Amino acid sequence: MATDPMAEIRASFFIECEELLESLQDALSDMDEGSHDNETINIVFRAVHSIKGGAGAFGLDALVAFAHRYETVLDELRSGRMTITPDAMKLFFQAADFLQDHVRAARDAAPPPEGSEDCLVSLEALIGGGAGPVVEEEVTDFQPMGLAFDFGPVDEAPATPVWTVRFRPSAALFSSGNEPLHLLRALGKLGASSTTCDLSRLPPLESLDPESFWLEWVVEITGDVTDFDIREVFDFVEDVCEIEITSGAAATLPSGAADFAMPDFGMPGAAALDLPPLTPDPEDPVPVAAAPAPQAEVIAIAKSEPRVEAPPPPPFVAVEMPAASGNGPAQREAASEPSATVRVDLDRIDRLVNLVGELVINQAMLAQSVAEAGLPPNSAVMTGLEAFMMLTRDIQDSVMMIRAQPVKPLFQRMARIVREASSAVGKEVRLRTEGEATEVDKTVIERLADPLTHMIRNAVDHGLETPEKRRAAGKTSEGVITLSAQHRSGRVVIEVVDDGAGINRPKVREIAISKGLVAPDAQLSDSEIDNLLFLPGFSTADQVSALSGRGVGMDVVRQAIQSLGGRITIHSEPGKGTRFSISLPLTLAVLDGMVVNVAGETLVVPLSAILETATLTDEDIRALGPNTNVIHVRGAFVPLYDLGAELGYRAPKSSYAGGIVLLTAQENGTRSALVVDSILEQRQVVIKGLQRSYGHIPGVAAATILGDGQIALILDPPDLVQNASGRTRSPAFALAG
Amino acid sequence: MTTIALASRLDLSQVTPLATALRGAAGADLVLDASAVTHLGGLALQVLASAAKSARQAGTSLIITPRSDAFDDALAVFGLSPADIQTGEAA
Repeated sequence: MATDPMAEIRASFFIECEELLESLQDALSDMDEGSHDNETINIVFRAVHSIKGGAGAFGLDALVAFAHRYETVLDELRSGRMTITPDAMKLFFQAADFLQDHVRAARDAAPPPEGSEDCLVSLEALIGGGAGPVVEEEVTDFQPMGLAFDFGPVDEAPATPVWTVRFRPSAALFSSGNEPLHLLRALGKLGASSTTCDLSRLPPLESLDPESFWLEWVVEITGDVTDFDIREVFDFVEDVCEIEITSGAAATLPSGAADFAMPDFGMPGAAALDLPPLTPDPEDPVPVAAAPAPQAEVIAIAKSEPRVEAPPPPPFVAVEMPAASGNGPAQREAASEPSATVRVDLDRIDRLVNLVGELVINQAMLAQSVAEAGLPPNSAVMTGLEAFMMLTRDIQDSVMMIRAQPVKPLFQRMARIVREASSAVGKEVRLRTEGEATEVDKTVIERLADPLTHMIRNAVDHGLETPEKRRAAGKTSEGVITLSAQHRSGRVVIEVVDDGAGINRPKVREIAISKGLVAPDAQLSDSEIDNLLFLPGFSTADQVSALSGRGVGMDVVRQAIQSLGGRITIHSEPGKGTRFSISLPLTLAVLDGMVVNVAGETLVVPLSAILETATLTDEDIRALGPNTNVIHVRGAFVPLYDLGAELGYRAPKSSYAGGIVLLTAQENGTRSALVVDSILEQRQVVIKGLQRSYGHIPGVAAATILGDGQIALILDPPDLVQNASGRTRSPAFALAG
Repeated sequence: MTTIALASRLDLSQVTPLATALRGAAGADLVLDASAVTHLGGLALQVLASAAKSARQAGTSLIITPRSDAFDDALAVFGLSPADIQTGEAA
């Protein structure tokens, strides 16, 4: 009966877990950087504790057992009985990673992760002895999940709560298909319980009316149970029975509670709304309702079924609160500040994004028809349309912002990858992250995880040297990998930088030749050699290591980035390190573009890629070699590309004088000039991906629908230039033909 | 000594037949055979407990034997022991 609500609550528990794990990682990082204050340690403790509590409520024993032992060690730390050492920090991080694995395993009903026992044993060795495996009674000996516990973080944990539930079914309970046996059984599963049945009111058989019910039960539950848990058991029978839930043992009940008179027991339904108040005793050791005021509210939108009575507090409200006490490290970023949040199903957001996309297209169509109607520019219709366009843009920005998320969780995952990878290959590595608050589209973040993982592993495995080699080269034995994110010219640039030995170009070249990827006599520039890493099947590892070298190489990374509309570039300096830059679009839904005409085709060039536009004169154009031209712009020479020729619409023109060029910039700062026939307009276009139907087309990012219903390709100038022939003079075309 | 075999599912539908059978046998020493019981519902429990109460008052015996595991298990969940719904010495 209660499967659906349970599944929802369970799902929200796991979402909370992710948040708790995030704050756990944050606090551990703070500790690692030297913040050993109580508040930071408490955040760590609280996160583990809350996960344990929630897991207990769902009977996730493996998770509970792990969290319990982890928490025991943390408690030693919290009470000041152990000191923080670098080794201890490592173990804390490792345990946090395992905790995450346990959470995931519990969520997916997968077997618990291997190796966590070893980690716990090492961890417990720190405090000498250890907590020992958690025994049955202890499992239930928890605080209610994440509720209001811990606002006085150094307080002793309150005593185990005891609940007394008086339960008196009415006859209607049976006729509605319910059965006290099941309810009592469910209650018994919440914690250690003792049930007594009151037979005193039962009439003898002769006068027993089988239509009435005279038994009542008193159940005492001890353990990690909340008012909410208990009430949930009775979720569907609230109106056909009397329930009284009080905290404390039955013996300590106020005398009034024992009266418990039910006005008209024989009449089903009459007692429906005559329920005792839900809130526990004021002296209740588990003050569900007594949480301090500044609490952020998490509304699970999906969970909006009305209840017969005021719903109990959502079970996980407290999770967002820990940072609210405000005396944590000052550098805590805004992203981690508690704020009111609403959880919305991603599908709904996507639908909204889609609709806004349609709105933009529709608006463009409307603008087109208005223009065609020949209305004067200052007419009411035009003014209204302009206001409408601004509104559309605002709506669009806001909708896009809903999807944008900080890259911080992604970076935290990478921190773990670094820890695991470095210990696997015996290197000392520190991960520095920059720009964690940078926001990127959610889909982009999700799909970045795999390529980034691969790149980080590569950096640890191949990029950084062994500690001995580093010392020999006069570097610190600890290698540094910097992971950064920033917004740059309308895109997001994510960089993975290591301070290792840089790319061994002779070796790369040698391997590429031996694998037949390049001709032995090929003359390759440094950057061309570096780019060989992206060729399919390229792997520099002499031996296949556990981390990398299985032939799944950077080509896969590049493919993944490209499928996101991004690009990846590589820059390496021997002895100093390697830098991989990933440049990604901010959003996958809309972009500002310049609509141009080339050989009768309408194309869209992303505005973010265009530096300036210019009209060419004869003097600007200089020949370079037999096929190519460069143009002279602002004191520099820029290669000239004819869009019409590059896209195969026409042969290169004989003269480009009077032509219009778009000057575009690439991530590495080089520029190129694209010749177009005319510029039509500048406008927002809705991106309609081509990847699904066509795969990656060099030079083409996506397509869009214009206001007149025409379909136009959206170009990706840097990619186009990379694959361009550069032919802007006819002879070559004639020869090729 | 009268023996009544209890139905396997003692749910709502069996309550009235059970009560009728027990009332019909009132005044005699009773043995209820609960070996086939797979489900003991609250209403049936009420009838059994009530019958025990009546037997206790009348001074007759009411023994439930043999009992299935499911029966004992349900009794335990209800917070009762077999003694609560029996009276008199086992034969």
